[in-house]
Amino acid sequence: MKEQSKYLEGVDKKDLFSSGHRACGGCGQALAARLVADAAGENTIACVATGCLEVFSSPYPDPSWRIPFLHSLFENAAAVASGVDAAYKALKKGPVNIIAQGGDGSTADIGFQSISGMFERGHNVLYVCYDNEAYMNTGVQRSSFTPYGARTTTTPTGNTTRKKNMPMLAADHGISYVATATVDDFRDLQMKIRKALTIEGPKYIHILAPCPLGWGHHGELTVEICRLAKDTGLFPIYEIVDGKVTNVRKIPVKVPVEEYLKPQGRFKHLFKKGVPSKVVDEIQEIANQNIERFNL
Amino acid sequence: MDKLPLGLALDLRKVVPYETGSWRTLMPVNIMQTPPCNQGCPAGNDIRGFLRVLAEKKDYEEAWHVLSRTNPLPATCGRVCPHPCEDGCNRRDFDSPLAINSAERAIGDYGLEENLEHKKLIASRKEKVAVIGSGPAGLSCAFHLAKRGFQVKIFEAYGEPGGMMRYGIPSYRLPNYVLRQELENIWKLGIDLECNIKVGVNIPMDQLIQSYDAIFVGIGAQTGLTIDIPGQDAGNVFSGVEFLREVNSGKYVDVGKDVVVIGGGNTAMDCARVAKRLGANVSVVYRRTRVEMPAITAEIDEAMEERVMFRYHTNPVKILQDDDKVVGILCVQMELKEPDASGRARPVPIPGSESVIPADTVILATGQAVDYDGIEVNKRDNKWIAANENLMTNVDGVFAGGDAVLGLETVSAAIGQGTRAASAIEDYVDGGVESRLSSPPVIYSKDLNTYYYNKKRRFQKEALPIHMRLKHFKELYPALDPEAIIDEAERCFSCGLCYNCGNCYMYCPDNAVKISPKTGLYEFDLDFCKGCGLCAKECPCHYIQMTLEK
Repeated sequence: MKEQSKYLEGVDKKDLFSSGHRACGGCGQALAARLVADAAGENTIACVATGCLEVFSSPYPDPSWRIPFLHSLFENAAAVASGVDAAYKALKKGPVNIIAQGGDGSTADIGFQSISGMFERGHNVLYVCYDNEAYMNTGVQRSSFTPYGARTTTTPTGNTTRKKNMPMLAADHGISYVATATVDDFRDLQMKIRKALTIEGPKYIHILAPCPLGWGHHGELTVEICRLAKDTGLFPIYEIVDGKVTNVRKIPVKVPVEEYLKPQGRFKHLFKKGVPSKVVDEIQEIANQNIERFNL
Repeated sequence: MDKLPLGLALDLRKVVPYETGSWRTLMPVNIMQTPPCNQGCPAGNDIRGFLRVLAEKKDYEEAWHVLSRTNPLPATCGRVCPHPCEDGCNRRDFDSPLAINSAERAIGDYGLEENLEHKKLIASRKEKVAVIGSGPAGLSCAFHLAKRGFQVKIFEAYGEPGGMMRYGIPSYRLPNYVLRQELENIWKLGIDLECNIKVGVNIPMDQLIQSYDAIFVGIGAQTGLTIDIPGQDAGNVFSGVEFLREVNSGKYVDVGKDVVVIGGGNTAMDCARVAKRLGANVSVVYRRTRVEMPAITAEIDEAMEERVMFRYHTNPVKILQDDDKVVGILCVQMELKEPDASGRARPVPIPGSESVIPADTVILATGQAVDYDGIEVNKRDNKWIAANENLMTNVDGVFAGGDAVLGLETVSAAIGQGTRAASAIEDYVDGGVESRLSSPPVIYSKDLNTYYYNKKRRFQKEALPIHMRLKHFKELYPALDPEAIIDEAERCFSCGLCYNCGNCYMYCPDNAVKISPKTGLYEFDLDFCKGCGLCAKECPCHYIQMTLEK
């Protein structure tokens, strides 16, 4: 094998989440799961909640995971991971990287109590949330991460509530490391995973993982959409270490939210006859608030 | 059969992964495309090729071999080429185009310093080819034929080889030793050179046709055309080519105090700047304005820096003389009217606007023509040699190229013609039919994903300060820093060729991009590729493209 390209220094590619999974073409979550697994390395246990990730990656007899994998119910990935941590402590084994993973539904809605409990009890678990902003596995139903204005099957005229700010909720549990990331910047994402795994105690990483099917964009745009989400200010990239927001990614050139909304089918109703509705202005206001709040 | 752990009905190690490639409707392919620089190079140089070698391997030697595969005179071209390659560079739309010309010069200079030698492709074959003229076209043709094993003999009319590069380009642009060294390197391929032989005068053309398998005519445009004005046969009236030839031959030319150059082409600029270096006050007289001047913009700028006076809208009427010696030139002011056939505005004299410019020397750089003395071929527009697309003239086995065919063009255009003629001559001698692959499509900035490139300042070569330029004929641009050139090469977008950024490898959600164990390059695992197109979209240089499934 040839030497690693100089452009890939500091990036892990170990194929611990391998080919043959049933995700749609261009799936952001499949990409994120692989980047997370490769960054965490072989000494890792994945506890994955029910959702797309579990469905497409683990059908018997050919799962994609090349690391130990535990499937749990929708609501209790964090609780199962807590149990794994407790078992390792009781058996005096380890150390091992325990990564609980779930979609936005299992993180923000159904599984919130178990996550909250895990944070509160202080288990040595990294919780990774793959945020695709709706219940994609069951057919694009609204979750509490669905952004304002987005159409889902349960909000056909556009979501009327704002997205729950999970990273801040996690940070307010008093845990020592919270970060946000997107799949387009794999260096940053893997760096955050590695950094989190060096910290003792509960950690939370929130990854924006576009869903071409649910968001209504072409699979090839997955990375581009992430980039636009960052550059519009709708998805700020930052870390919260011991309660303090640090390492905020500055936006090089600010982009109006329309550029982010237009390629996506779920925002198509905002541009009927090519005229942006006033919801677009309200979304721009959300982006502006983020820019102001995090000084992007 | 081994006993399986409790609860498992299948041995997972024997399970074949589910091949998701069957979902695909579009398929990614690696396609090497033509970058605009290669497309724009009249000599056909692989510009992206040598820039990539510099950027990735920092290896000047290999870069020299890549460059000299097509170009026998890299150090020369690196100095005199007006670099049309840079005009097309896709970086133009991003920050500023690459300094390709400087890179070429640095590579050429390295080759000269290290005495690198051209490689022969075929050791030897018996066919003989005569090349008339040792200018860039003839040299390039002879070079490519000699590399392919032909017995080549060059006939040169003047005392030293090089054609216009030797006698037409002043040495502050192209020092003589650079050209001589490059030529010596070319002779090492086993090319015979006979100087002071003018074909058609000293040796009849028919004799060559009989004793050689093919002939290449690269005689250039060596005759200066004069305009028909009274007094042009006075002493101290030169044609542009004649003046440059005198100076470049090392003769002392007494130009006096005031020099008037008539014309707006490259020869006019060279004459003006040479005369300036001989200590004269120089005015360039041109009928139209700067916009219509055919000279290279940089040359005009440099001439202006050197305090050459430009008189636009001015046309000479009469050269005034006193006892066979020029004393001045009578000019009339012009105004521009609707464009003529050449697309440039047509100048019309304004009555009663005559004025006299004092002059000790007048240089008429008003065009050049082919010297057909003893060479009989069909002509185009009664001026240039007519040649078909294989560069063959109406005489069987006689090929032609360079300025004699193109009209007044650049060194690199002549090199390109020589290269084409060499291929055509090979086909002619072998009796083969040309079956060359057409080059792949050109990449433009809209095809690139420039998110992955960083803005960086362009390399700027430093000219000598003006007060130091005019005292001598030393080279205007001193040697370039090889490290700075490598930095510059790293700016190359590598349009249409993988540069190992690894985006496809990292971004594929299906892990379907693998590193090939054989070639070490990225390749697609089509058993698993779902055809989402993410790799193609995020490929910075458009090397990956989506095509329909086979």
